[in-house]
Amino acid sequence: MAQDMTIDSYLAQGGKLTNPTNVPPRYRAELLKIMATFVDSELAGAAGFADVINAGPGIKERIAAARIVLEKTDNADTVLNLMGEFGANTDRYANHHPWTDRLPRDTPPGTARNAHDMRLSVLNYPLDGWVDAVTMNLCMGLAVGVQLDEFLTSSYQPFAEAIRKITPVEARHTELAEEGLQKLIAQGGGPAAVAAVTYWRPRVAAVFGEGARDRFEQLKAWGLRRTPNATLGATWESRLDDALARLDLSA
Amino acid sequence: MAHFHDLTVTDVTKTIRDAVVVTLKPVNGGDFDFIQGQYLTFRQKFDGIEVRRSYSICAGKDDGVLQVGIKKVEGGAFSTWANETLAPGMVIEAMEPMGSFHTPIDPRQAKNYLGFAGGSGITPVLSNMKTVLAREPRSTFTLVYANRGVNTIMFREELEDLKNLHMGRLTVIHILESDAQDIDLFTGRMDAEKCKALFTHWIDIDSVDTSFICGPEPMMLGISAALRDHGLSDDQIKFELFASAQPGRLKRKAGSAASTAAAKSTEATITMDGASRSFTMDKDQTVLDAALENALDAPFACKAGVCSTCRCKVIEGEVEMVANHALEDYEVQQGYVLSCQSYPLTDRIVVDYDH
Repeated sequence: MAQDMTIDSYLAQGGKLTNPTNVPPRYRAELLKIMATFVDSELAGAAGFADVINAGPGIKERIAAARIVLEKTDNADTVLNLMGEFGANTDRYANHHPWTDRLPRDTPPGTARNAHDMRLSVLNYPLDGWVDAVTMNLCMGLAVGVQLDEFLTSSYQPFAEAIRKITPVEARHTELAEEGLQKLIAQGGGPAAVAAVTYWRPRVAAVFGEGARDRFEQLKAWGLRRTPNATLGATWESRLDDALARLDLSA
Repeated sequence: MAHFHDLTVTDVTKTIRDAVVVTLKPVNGGDFDFIQGQYLTFRQKFDGIEVRRSYSICAGKDDGVLQVGIKKVEGGAFSTWANETLAPGMVIEAMEPMGSFHTPIDPRQAKNYLGFAGGSGITPVLSNMKTVLAREPRSTFTLVYANRGVNTIMFREELEDLKNLHMGRLTVIHILESDAQDIDLFTGRMDAEKCKALFTHWIDIDSVDTSFICGPEPMMLGISAALRDHGLSDDQIKFELFASAQPGRLKRKAGSAASTAAAKSTEATITMDGASRSFTMDKDQTVLDAALENALDAPFACKAGVCSTCRCKVIEGEVEMVANHALEDYEVQQGYVLSCQSYPLTDRIVVDYDH
């Protein structure tokens, strides 16, 4: 058997890596960055949503919100355990951190991340009441869906497998958001929802910000990414437009 | 979080000329109740340099033992040591079992498994195979096992025994690169073409529910391509890569160590939560590890230079940061470093986590 294939050429041909010991250092760094971003975003998202559970107008809404908090935390746990196999201290990771920290509400949209964690920039903005939370969950949920699709084919097999389990759970959260928003609009929450879309849309859009092109090409060669951010962003925009049209919220 | 635990070597058996099966017993604690197909990560120092290597568990769930197979690799410090020096009674350090090279076992299901193993890649496939055959009485397992020649086949007799034990449920096809066999198809390299031929004549690929592949890179690529061509989806194919070269941990640049050969240790002062503590630390140790060892509650998460949780500021002295994927240039200019990636260069350093 030919044993002289390099990891880079193996990955370029669609090969999968299966455990921390066969992962080269630079790949490892990028993979951990992707996983840390996912974990931090789920934890920050869950923490932010936990605060609005009691703002839910009825028991059903509070159950839905509590379920979202539970499942997002669970999803974070799944990926954090993979990071643990690389030596991350999983116990400390989740606990020693102000996951509910947010910027002032009127901070303009941007891609700056919190200095202390790797959450997506959008999760630095605070929720403002129930309608706002549900709208954010819809906008962001659709973006998460697009991002998870991107990771389904990750060349790090344990991560791709985790994402395969997580994807339907996250998709359900987005459905819950759309159902909830439909109900709120029927009860006269339309104007508040429109205001919330106006607030969240540019902030979620920043998630798909232009990254350095060289870096994307490298990630693509390693099989950690496959679609440029601009394309992912466009997919998200069109899915969001479809959802808003279904809700009669199109501007 | 993964920790290293002591394990006593209770047995070392040669399977072929250059491979051993090592039986281990946990000394005190650590959860070594593995899932079939998982691996253990060992660490051992050679000439003062720590080497970490992972080896798959080859035992099945019902074998009642913890066993790994270690094949000697040309120039491999750990595998050579394991094959030549390791003996019963010795104690070795390993992390708890890890890995996801397995599928859920359900005694009620009747699945057809197809395993591919190249050389020592047999170990995790064997663990899965034994467990499936023992715990899923209605499932079948077909093993395609590629080796250079007859005398390099690990577990050859054990496979024969398993065939007899699970009559009619286990099929083993040996593919030998250099030894001729009765059937031409079974001689040569295990690649995509060989797969296609096997699927045409010997294996009913349409009936396969799950496939396990473990071997070197080209073999993994060839087989997975052939499986996909025959309609298997990603979630039906389980991989375990036995990379020909396992990259070790990041090493320090050799030059810096030589230039400061005079002193191997550093006087370190570390400030955290408003209090400072001084101690002597090894220059081969990261600032973070030294802080943790000295009972300082230093923050860290990934230990890979990625998450920036362990950021601190160097107030006095110099350190070398071997990897940085988190700090911006301006932060580095201001003296910030990732303590998990930083080794002292000077004989005295002062570091502050509170900044």
